[in-house]
Amino acid sequence: MNSPPETPSAAERPAVTDAELLTAHINGDPHAFSEIVKRHRDRMWAVALRTLGDPDEAADAVQDAFVSAYRKAATFRGEAAVTTWLHRIVVNACLDRMRRKSVRPVADDELIEAAERETPLPDQTVEREVSMEVSAALKLLPADQRAALVLVDMMGYSVEDAAQVLQVPSGTVKSRCARGRAKLAPILSHLRNRTDLNRVSSAKGAELRDG
Amino acid sequence: MTGDTHYDLETLAELAEGLLDATTARQVREHLAVCDPCGELLADLAAVREVLAATPTPAMPMGVALRIDKALAAEAESRRGGGVGLAEPPDWDELMRDAPWERPAGVREPARLGAVASADAPELSEVPEVSEPVRLGVVSDDGTIVPARSRTMRRRRWAMPAVAAAAAAVVVGTAVASTNLLADGGDGGAGSAPPPVALPVQPSAQETPSPDRSSQRARAYKLTDSSYNYSDSALRMPLAGLLAPAPALHGDSESAGQVAKCVSAVSNRSKLTVFAVDQGQYNGQEALIVASWKQRAAKKVRIDVVDPFNCKNLRKPALGRW
Repeated sequence: MNSPPETPSAAERPAVTDAELLTAHINGDPHAFSEIVKRHRDRMWAVALRTLGDPDEAADAVQDAFVSAYRKAATFRGEAAVTTWLHRIVVNACLDRMRRKSVRPVADDELIEAAERETPLPDQTVEREVSMEVSAALKLLPADQRAALVLVDMMGYSVEDAAQVLQVPSGTVKSRCARGRAKLAPILSHLRNRTDLNRVSSAKGAELRDG
Repeated sequence: MTGDTHYDLETLAELAEGLLDATTARQVREHLAVCDPCGELLADLAAVREVLAATPTPAMPMGVALRIDKALAAEAESRRGGGVGLAEPPDWDELMRDAPWERPAGVREPARLGAVASADAPELSEVPEVSEPVRLGVVSDDGTIVPARSRTMRRRRWAMPAVAAAAAAVVVGTAVASTNLLADGGDGGAGSAPPPVALPVQPSAQETPSPDRSSQRARAYKLTDSSYNYSDSALRMPLAGLLAPAPALHGDSESAGQVAKCVSAVSNRSKLTVFAVDQGQYNGQEALIVASWKQRAAKKVRIDVVDPFNCKNLRKPALGRW
């Protein structure tokens, strides 16, 4: 993964890599896996929360994923980075939840989320508002497009890294991103004027226009 | 597509990703050079990336982190696999301190306890959680999640200290009652019981050891009769301000049985723990306002408004604040 850095506190733990921790875990070190969890849980949480759009679901998915990683550690093959492997398990857990959810007839959660949108908390900042709008908009996308956009546009991973996590070719990731952005553009375009994004996007537009 | 024909967002997005073949890409660029509306669309597309990138990604809440630690500890424990009991019981209060989840307990002990004790300890949800603490699933090789194998052994071992703790929390636990409960805990809560909610327990000989208590019905929620006429906007306010001031009703009132029926119906629908019920009106119509914890730490509640006769929803269940 290209960003953010692999270990949050590189200064404190200069020597031990994720792969070494995983090996230690397989060899019975009772603390090794918790260290891996500590290092990566925030990013796993972010991926799950953005992909699923619901904190309860995200918590279940991340928990399932970490427990599963704990059990399957021995089957981890060193050719991928540990983070890629963890991301893959988390994303698969999320996608699986989304598939199951779309079959479930109960619309209770949607009701409650709708109520949440109608009832903005008074202390809500603009940032939170934007964040909720983004969450709501992402939910309108098909699961595969959402997962690609979360990894590439929100988490800032390279297309290649995202392709490894999703286990599809890079071209597929690009095309999912493109289609997802095309769907989001009309929904989120009004946010363009709220921030200083104008400048950036015009520059980008000009650059593309000029080839 | 050339000249004055505009391009759609998808084509423009594919251009930005370099997915178009060279010829098409050149045509689109030529068009963009002269077409302001399409240029705007392209800017919108770029803005999507910027907005997504700028959306903050919050850190994992402490409650979730603790839950995961606990799940992994349970996993480690099951892996060690010995038949011996836990060296020390888990400190449930500590583990659940910041957890924003109020899950309906899936084990029957707390429901019984609550029913026996709630005359003195009306907050059933204060009883430490003793349900199987985590829902485990395994990601199988094709990436799907399958339920973890059942682990009766572990659950059984955990049931004992938890019940003991719960029993300790009961002020009036008589020797007879606790003995029954502990014996009950021994079967490890096989199967799942309905959420520990609501049904006023009919006094029966073995559950009410002291005769002076037999006239009291125990309920797991606070029942009030405010007669307030609720509206949707009122229900968007924090509910505590509306429900808490009304005096709690104790013992029998002619409507208590009907209320219990509706509370039970609501909790079966929502799978959440009902903790407060108010008898009032909704837009001028007699109604029960039923509050269940959605996320207790965040004071998030699910509010069901039902008619007190058939327990039918008078409006869609919604999220509110306590």
